[in-house]
This record gives sequence, C-alpha cells and structure tokens, in this order.
Amino acid sequence: MNNAFFALAKKIKKKIKRRTEESRPKKEKTKSELAVSDELKQRLQAVKDLLGESKDIVIREFKSGNDMVKLAILFIDGMSDKATISETIIRPIQSGNLSIKFNKDLSAGNALAAIEKHLSEFAETSTVPDLSQAVRQMLGGDSILLIDGEKEILVFGTRSWQSRAVEEPATESVVRGPREGFTETMRVNTSLLRRRIRHEGLRFESMKAGRRTWTEIVLVYIDDIVNRRVLEEVRRRIAAIDTDSILESGYIEEFIEDSPWSVFPQIEHTERVDKAAAAILEGRVLILTDNTPFTLIIPTSFFQFIQAAEDFYERPAIGATLLRLLRIAVLQIALMLPAIYVAVTTFHHEMLPTSLLLSIAAAREGIPFPAVAEALLMEATFEVLREAGIRLPRPVGQAISIVGGLVVGDAAIRAGLVSPAMVIVVATTAISSFAIPAFNASISLRLLRFPLLILAGVMGLYGLIFGLLLILIHLSSLQSFGIPYLAPLVHGTADDAIQTFARIPWWMSFKRPRMLNTRDRVRQKSSAGFRPAPPDERELFHEEVKKNAGKR
Amino acid sequence: MLEKGKISPRQAGELMFITIMATVILFVPAITSELAGHDAWIASPAGSLFGLVTVLLVFILGIRYPGRTIFQYSEDILGRFLGKLVALSFVWFFLHLAATVVRQFGDFLTTSFLPETPLSVFNFTLIFLAAIAVLSGLEVIARMNEFIILLVVSSLLAIFSLSISIWEIENLFPVFASGIIPIARGAIVPAAWHGEIVALAVIMPFLTRPRGALVSGAAAVLGSTALLTTALIAVQSVFGPDFTASMHFPIHLFVRSINIGRILTRFEVVIMIIWVAGVFIKTSVFYYCAALGIAQVFGLSEYRPVVLSLGLIIAVFSITLYSDVAELAHFLRDAWPVYSISMYSLGLPLLLLSVSLVRGKLSGEAQGKDKQDG
Repeated sequence: MNNAFFALAKKIKKKIKRRTEESRPKKEKTKSELAVSDELKQRLQAVKDLLGESKDIVIREFKSGNDMVKLAILFIDGMSDKATISETIIRPIQSGNLSIKFNKDLSAGNALAAIEKHLSEFAETSTVPDLSQAVRQMLGGDSILLIDGEKEILVFGTRSWQSRAVEEPATESVVRGPREGFTETMRVNTSLLRRRIRHEGLRFESMKAGRRTWTEIVLVYIDDIVNRRVLEEVRRRIAAIDTDSILESGYIEEFIEDSPWSVFPQIEHTERVDKAAAAILEGRVLILTDNTPFTLIIPTSFFQFIQAAEDFYERPAIGATLLRLLRIAVLQIALMLPAIYVAVTTFHHEMLPTSLLLSIAAAREGIPFPAVAEALLMEATFEVLREAGIRLPRPVGQAISIVGGLVVGDAAIRAGLVSPAMVIVVATTAISSFAIPAFNASISLRLLRFPLLILAGVMGLYGLIFGLLLILIHLSSLQSFGIPYLAPLVHGTADDAIQTFARIPWWMSFKRPRMLNTRDRVRQKSSAGFRPAPPDERELFHEEVKKNAGKR
Repeated sequence: MLEKGKISPRQAGELMFITIMATVILFVPAITSELAGHDAWIASPAGSLFGLVTVLLVFILGIRYPGRTIFQYSEDILGRFLGKLVALSFVWFFLHLAATVVRQFGDFLTTSFLPETPLSVFNFTLIFLAAIAVLSGLEVIARMNEFIILLVVSSLLAIFSLSISIWEIENLFPVFASGIIPIARGAIVPAAWHGEIVALAVIMPFLTRPRGALVSGAAAVLGSTALLTTALIAVQSVFGPDFTASMHFPIHLFVRSINIGRILTRFEVVIMIIWVAGVFIKTSVFYYCAALGIAQVFGLSEYRPVVLSLGLIIAVFSITLYSDVAELAHFLRDAWPVYSISMYSLGLPLLLLSVSLVRGKLSGEAQGKDKQDG
C-alpha cells in the first residue's frame, strides 16, 4: 500500500519536473510574472496527465476577488457536494466585497494562510504537502484547492454522494429488535455504532488496503475491554494484505482467517448493527469495510452460529434457551439425517422397531435404486432447486419451487423412483438447514452432508461415525485468532458453556466470556445487579414488621 | 521441544480418563466376573485404585525431571545405553498397547455390529483417524477429547440410569462367598488397565502446570474406577456373574436389554458411538506416545515423519498379534496384567525412581547444581 503511494508520488514529481523542463526555454523568453501562473498550469497538467481525460473530474480555475491570486479547485463530480463547494469555498474567495480583512490578507505570497484562516469557519479543511496525496484524497470525494505559487494544497472535506438509506437487513430479519442495518457508507456505519455505544472507550481505527481500490477498513473495539493481543493480531493480518482490490468484506475474511482451506467459516459476519454492537461490548473486534454492509466479527467460535440476535431480546428461559437447543438439534439433523436413514435402512434394520421397519420396507418396495443412490439423487435435486430458486425474481422463484418441489416430487414418488420416506427425510433435512441462523455455517453443513451420506452408504453407522470423527479432528484443530473454534465447549469455563447454550437472563450475567480473555471481564457487579424485585413491597413488609415489633 | 502445544491439567486428566475408560467397561466386566465371581464389583475398585500408585510414581519422577518425558529422563537416570533401552521398551509398550486396543476395537465391531465386514477395514480406518489426530498434535487430541468426554459420560450415565428398573440387586450377593483369593485374582485385571495411566509420564511435561498432574491423574483413576464399578454392578445385577463371564462384551447385551416403552429400544448404537469415539482417543494417545518416544530416543527434531510408518506397524500388529477374539481375551486375562504391571506400570517406573533417588543421595551436593540446571 505504501509502495503504491510512493510510486504515485514519484510519478507526479517526474511529471512536474518534465513540465518545468519543457517550459524552461519559454520561461526565459517571457516575463517572470507569467512564470508564476505557469506553475499552477503545470500542476493542473500533471493532474490531468495522471488521471487522463476522465469526464467526472471537475477542474475550475478562478481568481480571487482582488485579482491577486490564481486558484484552481478540483473535485470528482458525484462524490462531492457541488453546492457546498461553490457556496462556501469559491464564492467567498471570488467575491470582491467580502470582508476587508480577508481582502487585505489575500495576496500572492500569503494566499494559503489567508484562505485557510478565513475559510476554516465554513468547511473542514486541512493542508497537504504534496500533490499525489491531495489527488488521492480528491479521489475519495474531497475537493482540493491549488493556489498559484503555494506548494501546499488545501483539502476540503466535501464528501457527499448518493447512498442507500438505512434499512432493515434482508439477511437477518428479526421479530423483535432494532430494524437498522449497516449500509455501504462508512460514515453512516460508524455513526450507527457510535449511537449505540456512547462510551469514550469506543475506538474506530482506520486502515487502508487494496492497491487500486484504496478501500477503507475500520477496526472497531472498546479500548478497555478488548484483548490487546487479539487486536494486535488483527492489525498485523490486515496490514499484511497486499492485493490490488477489496470489494467486499469477504475478501478480507479470506485474507485473514486462520485456515483458508477449511469448509467452516471462521469469521462471523453480520449486517445488523445491534449484533455488531453486542459483539464489540463482549470484547470482540469488529471490522467495517467501506462499500459493503457486511461487517466481520473477530474472534469467532463455532457455537456463535447457533445464536441469533433476537435471542437476547426474547424471554430467556423459554424463548431463547429452548430455541438454542432446538437449533443444535437442527444442526445435527441438517448434517446427518440422510446419512442415518441410509445407514439404518441399509445396514442396521435391527435398530428400528418392527412396525416402523415394515412400513419403511413396504414403501421401498419396487424402488430401483439402493438407498444411498436414492438419497444422493434427492439431495442433489434439492440443491439444484434451491440454487435455481435463490437468484430468480421472486414470482419466478415461487414457480420453480412449485414445479420442482411439488410436481416433480409427487411424480417421482408415483413413478416409483423414490420412496416417500426418502422424500420426508430430504425435506426435513432441507427445512432444518434453513433453520440455522447463519447462512455460511449452513452451507458448510450442506457440503459435509454428501461425504457423510456416501460413508454411511458404504460402511453404515460406523462409516458415519468415522466421518463425524474426521470432522471433529478438523474442528478441533481450527482456531480463530488464538481461540479454539470449538470454544467454549473445549477451551472456556463451565460458565462460558452455559452462556453459550443457554441464554442467561441479563440480571444474572455478570461476566463477559472467559474464553475471550478480555481486559475488563465484569458486566455488572454481582452484588449490585442482583435480581430485580419490587422494592416498595419489600420495604412495606419490613415497615410492617417494624411496626408490629414496636407494638409488642 | 518436539511438541509445542500445551494442555491444561484438566485436559490431561480428561484425556487419561477416556484413555483408561474407553476399553475398560467393555472388556473388564467379563474377565473380572470370570475370575472373581459374585465379588467382581468389589474386586474392580480394589484393583483400579492401583492406578493411583502409578500416578504417584510418575508424578514424582516428572517433578524430579521437569520438562522431560519418561523417554528422556530414563536416559538421565540410567545412562545412555540402559536409558535408551528402557525408553525403547516403553515405545514398544505403547505400540503394543495401541495395536491391542485397535484389535479389541475391530473384534468388538465385527462380532457385535457388522459381522460380514473384515477386521482390517475397522483397524485401518481407526488407525487412519488416529494418525491424523496424532499429526495434528497433542493439543488437538486434548480438545477433541473434551468434546468426546461429554458425549461418553452423559450417554453412559443415561444408560445406567435408564436400566435401573431391570436391576436385580440380589445377584450381587453373597459377598466374600469364596474368600479373598478370587477377589485378588479378579482385581489384577482392572489394575492392569488402570496402570495404563503411565502414559501420563509422556504428557506431563506438556502441561501448563505440571504440578497439576497429580490431582488430574488421580481424578482420572477415581473417575474411571467409579464408572467401571457402576458398570459391573449394573451388568452383574442384570445378568448374574456366570452369564456375565460367559460373554465377551456383556455391556453390549446389557444395553440391548434396555427398553423404555416401545419406542426407546435398541440403545446399542449408543454403545457403538461411545466405543468408537473413546477408542479413537485411546489409540491416538498411545500412538502419540509411541511416536514422540521414537523421536526423542533417536533425537529427531520432529515426531511427525515417523507417524505414518508407526501407523503401519500398529496396523500389522493389530491383525497378526492375535488369531481371534478368544485368543485376545485369553491374552488380556492371563498374560497382559502380569506383563504390563510388572514391567511398565509398576516395575520400570519404580526402578527409575529408586535409581534416581539413590543416585541423588550418592552424588549429594556435588550434583545438586546439575540437577537444577537439568
């Protein structure tokens, strides 16, 4: 990234040098007064050479109101606020009848200082020593003011572009909870977070990556909670990214995750602001990427994928805890049900109660395929259906699901190609895989279902267990930024494990997860934040007791 | 250091627990019942507690030679030649143990679940899994075990509590009917099994807190003793001692006989899952110990290159050492306890400790400094 920057700087310097060399003979012919104005022209030409004939770059040359200084303002059409530029930058300098003091200050040798001084009340300004850096800021939406004869360049923060409004995220909808999601604009996103966490410890740490896209990446954390070593590691890995483009946080995810070849996602992503804020408050690091609403949560453990944002707003015991247990069951169904069905019907008939065995055997009568082939066929069909439906416009997508699911499924059963039991199994598996909150985790399970199915078809339940143990070895060797992927089942304390599988009521959750090793572990002091009870009733009772005692 | 990972004392204790427990509840009930009759359920805790002696020996040795495994300090104690010999014999012990465990595993699956599948399929797939685990390192094995232990312990407890309705406690009595001798004979088998905790001598240097090894090792022995005794009581009270002794895997039939209503039947698949998962951990631990031992005896910088070749050796042994399940049971009943206790879980550690103590006394202050360095 730095290299790119220096290269750009060199290029610009070269251009300026060439310009000056070319113009030198002319300069000798003309008067020195003209040479001064040439200097501005050269710099503008350098910028033009660098950026080419791009139509969206606006260059406006103008003179100060007292005709003493030549200036040029450059900005990108569509990324800067034109009204602000003309109202608060160009007009004050151009108009002759502004304040007398400004007019007096504004002279050839003193222009930059004067403008900076008098315009600072209108817009956010800064000075930049060289042209390449200024151009880069201009490409980010700022406008730059070149002043004839001044080496330093004034930069005005005039970023403003069309952006999507804050909407409810489509991927993670909730019944109860805030409906705000991140947008593609970095400033909007940071403000959404700042609005939720007003603590002074909230930090936004900006980094840049992508040699051509210069994408802004912002690390968000709370300074006195976050584990320093995790933060350091995140910084190190992001700084090590050396690619020319970053268009989505998925790029970053791949660059910084621990085991890039694994099928399991090792970094959770979210569009929900409240979920992101909760992660930050838990002591995790959030990575915001410019131009995408998807933020990354680091570190991530596998069991985060069974949690939904809503769990934390619903009734703890019945709502959230049971739902989580249900999701764990669903996870296993999505992963193993077809494999178990195949193993049992092919190898382990004795495991089924006789009546069930008879009905399954009756249903399978006349099916030309072995159970494995049948299952593979149906699973593959389902995956195709799902893939076909997912990207089509909604009305067509419904047609697909009707034709594919109902018509083909029914016809296949009637034709005796698949057994009804298999259809039930495949459908249950499909529904289960939809019930997993995290889409990326559910993809991994969908993928792993096939090898398990084949193993179960070859070696029965033993094959299935073999496959599961392989997955377990893999999961156990995974880490996410120094934290075992299976934490807290594997690494954390019993307290963490309970917090993960059950939703502890807020008045009972005193500590942050131990496995994250945060600097500040206390959420609330156990004595102060005890169970809320109606205070007046208790006091009333005590008063009553006192009164009675007094009477006696 | 050959192993860079560190595990917590709790993880080590859990690892040792599963290592002992995985095969003990499957094989020992039958053998102990055969030898001790009615009193098997008394013999088993009596024998199992022998494991505590091994833990103590290994712990003292580990504390005297901090940061060194049994392969290394046997050289420190007995000198280069004898030390290497002892270390190699321990490597052999772990290899033999791994092969025997794998064989038990294969025999159980072929006799109870998939009778038409050849033994080698199970042996090879298990060794393949264990090889991957060993290549991934001690930390990964310990982490997997933390997951597996939950599965194993909770399903065993569920099985035992679900079976209470069919227990017939009278089967356990009379106590001491035939005197103390059968109990002593019956106790030696669980003692041998619990002596396997000598593997702690290899793992101890890799603990985050080596001094925690004593408590976690003892906890592992006590935990597995408790489970074994529960299993024996359960099995004997259902089948009686004679029928128990006549089976190879009584716990398997025991689980089959549990019926809750008409729906929850056929729990034996649970036993299979526990069995496969537990034996996988057990094999991985011994396999790991053997690989690390080879690397340390021959001064290799990495143990990973020897893993695959050791796997082949274990695979071949697991098939050729015993001709059938009867021979395996005979070996486990008659030869194994005497052999493993006299040599590895008591004999050699005791020898190492006493030589170390004598040498420490003899050299006195002169070598006091060296020891601190070492």
